[in-house]
Amino acid sequence: MKAIGIFFMLLALAIGVVPQFTNCSAQGRAIELPGGRTIPMKCHWTAMAAPAVAVPLLVVGGLMFFSRRRETLWALSLLGSVLGIFAILLPTYLIGVCASDEMLCNIAMKPTLIFGGAVTLGAGLVGLVLAGKIRSGLFTEAAGSD
Amino acid sequence: MSLIRLALRNIAGNTFRSFVVLLCALLISGMALTTGMILFGADNSLRLAMDRLGADIIVVPEGAADRVESALLMGRPTQSWMPASVVDRVAAAMDVQAVSPQLYLATLSNASCCTVSDMFLIAYDPRTDFVVTPWLEKTIGGVLRLGEVIGGADVFVPAGEEGIKLYGYHVALKAKMEPTGTGLDRSLFLTIETAQEMARVSRIKAEKPLEIPQNSVSAVMVKVRPGCNPRAVALNILVHISGVTPILSPDMFQSQRKELTALRNGVVMALIITLVFSVLLIGLVFSMAANERRRELGVLRALGATRSFVFQVLLSEAGLLAMYGGVAGAALTILAVVLFRKLIIATLGIPFLVPALPMLAALILGGLACSLLTVMLAAMLPAYRISHEDPSIAMRE
Repeated sequence: MKAIGIFFMLLALAIGVVPQFTNCSAQGRAIELPGGRTIPMKCHWTAMAAPAVAVPLLVVGGLMFFSRRRETLWALSLLGSVLGIFAILLPTYLIGVCASDEMLCNIAMKPTLIFGGAVTLGAGLVGLVLAGKIRSGLFTEAAGSD
Repeated sequence: MSLIRLALRNIAGNTFRSFVVLLCALLISGMALTTGMILFGADNSLRLAMDRLGADIIVVPEGAADRVESALLMGRPTQSWMPASVVDRVAAAMDVQAVSPQLYLATLSNASCCTVSDMFLIAYDPRTDFVVTPWLEKTIGGVLRLGEVIGGADVFVPAGEEGIKLYGYHVALKAKMEPTGTGLDRSLFLTIETAQEMARVSRIKAEKPLEIPQNSVSAVMVKVRPGCNPRAVALNILVHISGVTPILSPDMFQSQRKELTALRNGVVMALIITLVFSVLLIGLVFSMAANERRRELGVLRALGATRSFVFQVLLSEAGLLAMYGGVAGAALTILAVVLFRKLIIATLGIPFLVPALPMLAALILGGLACSLLTVMLAAMLPAYRISHEDPSIAMRE
């Protein structure tokens, strides 16, 4: 379970940091209005929202690393999975990214968030299964060594 | 207790050792699958692009061959022109069955009059065309009319709009082609008549007008008579028509093929290094584990377990870890390659299409086999050594 905690923390860093450098605003791009004023593109807001998923995931990973109680590990795994789902939903449904397929937000930021989210979800589910097995006593030795 | 259950408990009993072996298996399977997917995907993409071009020879202006290949393969727009009289001269060459001119155009960069920035446009002559027209007749049962276009797999009409705006001229997307993983997926095919109408409208509506030089073409597609040697025809064109370069279809994309060969050498080398280091690391981990567990395995032998049972337990552990790691590696690799496909294309500079399902299944099995074989091979020697040790000596030490 410690490994999953470390894994969550690494994924949280990727989810939180990569979008800050791969959104269109970071590349100096913006939507120019007819009056000459510029407004940020959609992907800018997704990048702004990414730390809102990454920071709680970092905390969840940290808590998982130090926790030993089965119920706590189970709850933290569940929370990690939910945060993974939100990481996927940010660029695909909740906010989105720019329309053009060739923009950096589409080729780097969106895949990073989906990949990070999917792996977080997968790791969370593995954590749930392992926490369940600790409860049933099958992996008692493993829990002890953790 | 069954063999598998005992192996599972042993795996759970030493999380660090299991984690290291699992990680190695994950890396091996992931590396093998990535190598296979990228190499087969790039090769497949090049083949599909050549099929899509559908001509035996492409005649382009002298010195423009590399730029045209790059435009067709990577979607980097280019404009090169040669006199339209070349079309008749090529048609008159020996053993040429059919010729058709094409114009290579591009949309403007970041201009409000163009929906898509820097898109490669291929204008063809529907009266002579033998590349797009047969596909169109099969797909939409007709030909393209004025203001209609067909697009590559990645071309789409923006949400809330009725068509695609090119130089302030709206075109209707009639159909989309199958993906090839090349620049053709981001290109538009239209008739020369539509291109000329677009050029006329662009003088009023576009930020910068579309210029199509009078009596000029960008390329001539050539179909050779059946049974004739395309290479001889290409040589004949090269010798008799000045200012042009004929490119044979099988010789297309040579620079990309060279890049692909260099990439293949690099990734195969990386795979071999990963395999060697993994075998050494897993062998070391299993040797350490076997030494640690000498007493435990000695007790197992003293309780009546045969040598072959102990050997099988150790190999089952290795096999299970290899399978878990291999499956996780394959899943992560497929997810990453599919999601980051465009980044891979942009970074490596080669076209790439995710292989079709049967090929993908074969590659996954290959990756799993690679990981299973490596882990089993590494675990074989320590497992054999400890299973053949005398239980009384093992328990005493």
